[in-house]
Amino acid sequence: MSKNDNQSNIPSKPRTINIVTAALGGEGGGVFTSWLIDVAEANGWMSQTTSLAGVAQRTGATIYYIELFPRDQASKQQPVMSLFPAQGDIDIAVSSEIAEAGRMLQRGFITPERTTLISSTHRVFGITEKADLGDGVINSDEILKLGEKYSKSFVRFDMQDLAKRNNSVISSGLLGALAGSGALPFTKESYEQVIRNTGKAVETNLACFNASYNSAIALSANEEDVKVEYFDPAKVSKEFILPRGTTIQGQALLDRLVFKLPKSVHEIAYQGLKKTLDYQDYRYAEQYLDELERFIALDTGANDYELLQTLARYLALWMCFEDISRVAQLKIRDSRMDEIREEVKAMPGQIFHVTEFFKPRVEEMCAMLPASIGSWALDSKFCRATLNLFSGGKKLRTNSLPIYFSLRFLSFLRKFRRSTLGYQHEYGMISSWLSAIETVAKENPATALELARCGRIVKGYGDTRARTSTQLMSIVSLSKTQTLDNSVISELHRAALSGDDNREFETVLKASA
Amino acid sequence: MAERSFKKEVLKLKAGEGDIFRGEGILAITKGLLQSGVAYVGGYQGSPISHLMDVLNDAQDILEDLGVHFEASGSEATAAAMLSASINYPLRGAVTWKSTVGTNVASDALSNLASSGVTGGAMVIVGEDYGEGSSIMQERTYAFAMKAQMWLLDPRPNLPSIVDMIEKGFQLSEASNTPIFYMMRIRGCHVTGEFEASDNLRPDFSALNPVTPNREPEKIILPPHVYEQEREKIRDRWPAAIQFIEENKLNELFPGKHDQLGIITCGGTYNTVVRALERLGLADCFGNTDIPIYVMNVAYPVVPSEVIDFCATKQHVLLLEEGQPSYIEPEIHALLRKKDIQTRIYGKDIFPQTGEYTGQVTLLGLSRFIEKTGLSASVLLQTNDINALHSPLDDQEHETLLENVPPRPSGLCTGCPERPLFSAIKQVQEDFGPLHISSDIGCHSFATLAPFNLGNTIMGYGLSLASSSSIRAALPHKSISIMGDGGFWHNGLTSGVVSSVFNKHDGILIVINNGYAAATGGQDIPSHLQPNLIATTMDAERSERDQSQSIENACRGAGVEWIRILSTYGIEDMKSTLAEALQSDLPGLKVIIAEGECMLNRQRRIKPLMNKAVADGKRTERARFYVDSQTCTGDHACIRLSGCPSLTIKDNPDPLRLDPVSYVDNSCVGCGVCGDNVHSAVLCPSFSRITLVYNPTWLDKALSQVRQGIIHYFQRSDMRKKQARSL
Repeated sequence: MSKNDNQSNIPSKPRTINIVTAALGGEGGGVFTSWLIDVAEANGWMSQTTSLAGVAQRTGATIYYIELFPRDQASKQQPVMSLFPAQGDIDIAVSSEIAEAGRMLQRGFITPERTTLISSTHRVFGITEKADLGDGVINSDEILKLGEKYSKSFVRFDMQDLAKRNNSVISSGLLGALAGSGALPFTKESYEQVIRNTGKAVETNLACFNASYNSAIALSANEEDVKVEYFDPAKVSKEFILPRGTTIQGQALLDRLVFKLPKSVHEIAYQGLKKTLDYQDYRYAEQYLDELERFIALDTGANDYELLQTLARYLALWMCFEDISRVAQLKIRDSRMDEIREEVKAMPGQIFHVTEFFKPRVEEMCAMLPASIGSWALDSKFCRATLNLFSGGKKLRTNSLPIYFSLRFLSFLRKFRRSTLGYQHEYGMISSWLSAIETVAKENPATALELARCGRIVKGYGDTRARTSTQLMSIVSLSKTQTLDNSVISELHRAALSGDDNREFETVLKASA
Repeated sequence: MAERSFKKEVLKLKAGEGDIFRGEGILAITKGLLQSGVAYVGGYQGSPISHLMDVLNDAQDILEDLGVHFEASGSEATAAAMLSASINYPLRGAVTWKSTVGTNVASDALSNLASSGVTGGAMVIVGEDYGEGSSIMQERTYAFAMKAQMWLLDPRPNLPSIVDMIEKGFQLSEASNTPIFYMMRIRGCHVTGEFEASDNLRPDFSALNPVTPNREPEKIILPPHVYEQEREKIRDRWPAAIQFIEENKLNELFPGKHDQLGIITCGGTYNTVVRALERLGLADCFGNTDIPIYVMNVAYPVVPSEVIDFCATKQHVLLLEEGQPSYIEPEIHALLRKKDIQTRIYGKDIFPQTGEYTGQVTLLGLSRFIEKTGLSASVLLQTNDINALHSPLDDQEHETLLENVPPRPSGLCTGCPERPLFSAIKQVQEDFGPLHISSDIGCHSFATLAPFNLGNTIMGYGLSLASSSSIRAALPHKSISIMGDGGFWHNGLTSGVVSSVFNKHDGILIVINNGYAAATGGQDIPSHLQPNLIATTMDAERSERDQSQSIENACRGAGVEWIRILSTYGIEDMKSTLAEALQSDLPGLKVIIAEGECMLNRQRRIKPLMNKAVADGKRTERARFYVDSQTCTGDHACIRLSGCPSLTIKDNPDPLRLDPVSYVDNSCVGCGVCGDNVHSAVLCPSFSRITLVYNPTWLDKALSQVRQGIIHYFQRSDMRKKQARSL
């Protein structure tokens, strides 16, 4: 309401008020629309709505269109209402999710002189965002900026969160925001009465409606003079304060970290120490610092020691590769059961069972054996066949005693990890990657950084793990045979994350060689 | 029972003289039918008229009270053939379907009906699935109306006009002995509003008052009668229709002060025209216009005298005809040419040739028309302004949005039984190389989209098997066709299975049996049973059942010998069955009936049962899946293999990892596909099934306490060790 004036959208000459609502299939756009019709009716306004049902109801994006007209002006003649939302002809645009607000901006439904835009700021991820091999999530701040720029007023906050906290649905949140926006000439009581009349979940829906109403009011009050600042993680990153050690060995590691590593690397390296220690032992954490310190002299210090930061991150992750012991270790943690209880909304004290789905391959089992036996077993047809008997899909109930103790035993085996085939295989690759970066860094820091970033490629289990680590090794060996430009490596990095098959990566690799 | 229930709304259909009826367009149509005294109704569901079938279904008590016969027809051809009751007897009847696809299916019966002519009013209510929100190829029903000579009504999309035109339509049909198309556009079907009702009429003849059988040989479509029927169409029925339309003013004229100009529009696009004129300052919101408008509520036939009278005194006339090819425009040109009238007609030269005439398109077209007429100075918006309205954003900002607004294609619902089937096919494809798949109409068409990307062609409802009958000879693998249970009963059994067995087709047909016509809203189908006992991971294994019309028996009856029936949720079994079928040397068609109840309908069915069981204190288990964010490394392979809406992502709790982790939200219904994929595709150890126990027995409680006690003891000891060994 800030930008122009505090008037609602009552037209001077009789005309309809036009409202477009964007929602996701099955997400309550229909409920919101029918409530709105009832509110209008209670206030003596007639309405016409249309929607596109069709296949859009199956999880796609869908649009509802509503036109409202005061009955007292329609005593002699009925208004002719349009069935299409049209660009430049929308008074109120309501969106149940922020990316859908972006879609309405794209379609031209938001007009600066006229449109009140109301949107929840939460995200429902699209399939392209979810299916990305890395991070395909869009930047919704960009949509917020454009929404701010091109709407008459922009009511936006996380209505999904309000709905969750009040045990309600987003429709109540949207209705509250609409009422609070003041864009319609209807009283708050008339909205509340419509929710009461439904007779269903009245209390929780009213609570959510009111919370949302108040947020919208507060937003418009604040907006008068405060320019909205958008969250920028780079700017807001808080000063990291290194905690004090809780054990003598721990403090020694932290002292070494402070003494040796530049300040900008402390936070990541601290997380790396925590992880490697949890994964194995103090000696392993020291090993982590040993590896990292090799690069102190090689880092030019550019971008707050970006090379060291990147290495600190991906080295820790790779050193803590997920073998059977590691998975078992994580599965039997006591904190895990509390997380699950919270996540599945179990009632306090309610009994629940947790069934794990495992399918270890022969490779993963051999990786647990001492290196010489393991590689012999992998090569032996007989051993493979025998182990294969145990490799089928497993459904294991973690909270039954035999399974708990089996997992605990597997977790205990991590004591012998250093001598296993798996460790030698993974650490061999880590060393090869590190030495490649070391060699390149002297000549070409940019390429070294790019090579360090490729640590991100390595992830997953089973075939995925094998594919991704092979990809990184191909990049590493290519960098050893020829001088690579950093753009070549970043292109290989991109190709590796482009899909589940190796095809694009192979093509790029061939072109680069 | 369909997905959306109209049980409450249909009570409105009882409204009598003078009552104000408020509701959706389809309800208004139903009310119009009852007010017209229909004797029978039928049809086949499909967007945008699915809900009309649902309304009729839910209104069966009301229909019965009035003596109206209702059938949920087996296909549009079945529905069209119902109209034969109106050939010999004064019975009014209406059927409905999605057009143009349904019209294509029905065309044989319709052509014959149109040739015979009708005694009682016969009406086909077509949901014209054209433009935004459509799910089919873009064609017009108009062409069929012309070639078979059926009149096409296209009423203004407000409830009073919609109802009025139903009643007038029956009268027109009877006055001209011609069946009628009553066309509703997508948005018109779902429009809401109000009108003043009148009483429902009982049909003159019904089960209570049967007709006297009456044979009229001249109405049978055999020579020599067909020649006379053709002459009669032109000699008698056409002029009778024109006369009726004129006398009863079915088309409307709205005068305006700029008499030298005019706009001709079909009823369905009238509201958009008025809104555009209002925005230009040439009309008010009540439709009082400065430019005269001639509204063709009857789109076919064109009434020559009305068009000539409207155009003769004008300089410029704009015609809005949505869709292509244009049929009205050449006809009007010809009419004026023959009368040597020189009025300039604008149409598809200033309006787009193709696509829907939306608000923006119509506004822009009208503005171009205004420019031609020299009225530009007096209107509120110029063409440039309107182009600018298209979007206030600059190119850079559009680019930003393009990157940051993710596409949202339709997909399979949470827990859909078809998801594991397509996961299995995708995995089989990895072993056998790329597969050519003949797809069909139904929810399973979504498999052609991401993340499955399976399927090459869609030729029509129930036609997948038929469409593989030629390519099978040129494929490196046995042909694969996928069909839903809806498509199987609609057309697939005869066009596909019977023909394939006859022609020694040795390919594979996968029939997806989910128990409902799911894509159109969960309507009943012949192989549906109540309660539905189709196997899923949550129910017991497939139980013996007493099924009146079984897909398996139908296939056996048609001569299929190789039939396998299995649950879609068993991915491993499905993979091995597919592999077996692909490698089999046995001759003949191989049919795999893949069973799994439609999850939307299943949830609707079992949720109340489960809540009741919990409330009644019975021991009940509810399962859902969970991704361990500690072990998930964020490569999202699980998502690419499933695409389930409840399987999503969230921020990685590990500060070292930058990529989001997979995450199962609380909408998960515990179908088990995630777990099965872990096993069959060797994914990762992050998936767990959480089984919540409600009303545990004493044994549950005792066991749980013992387990928890022991496990806690060891966890605490592990915890102490961990603390002694921390930073």
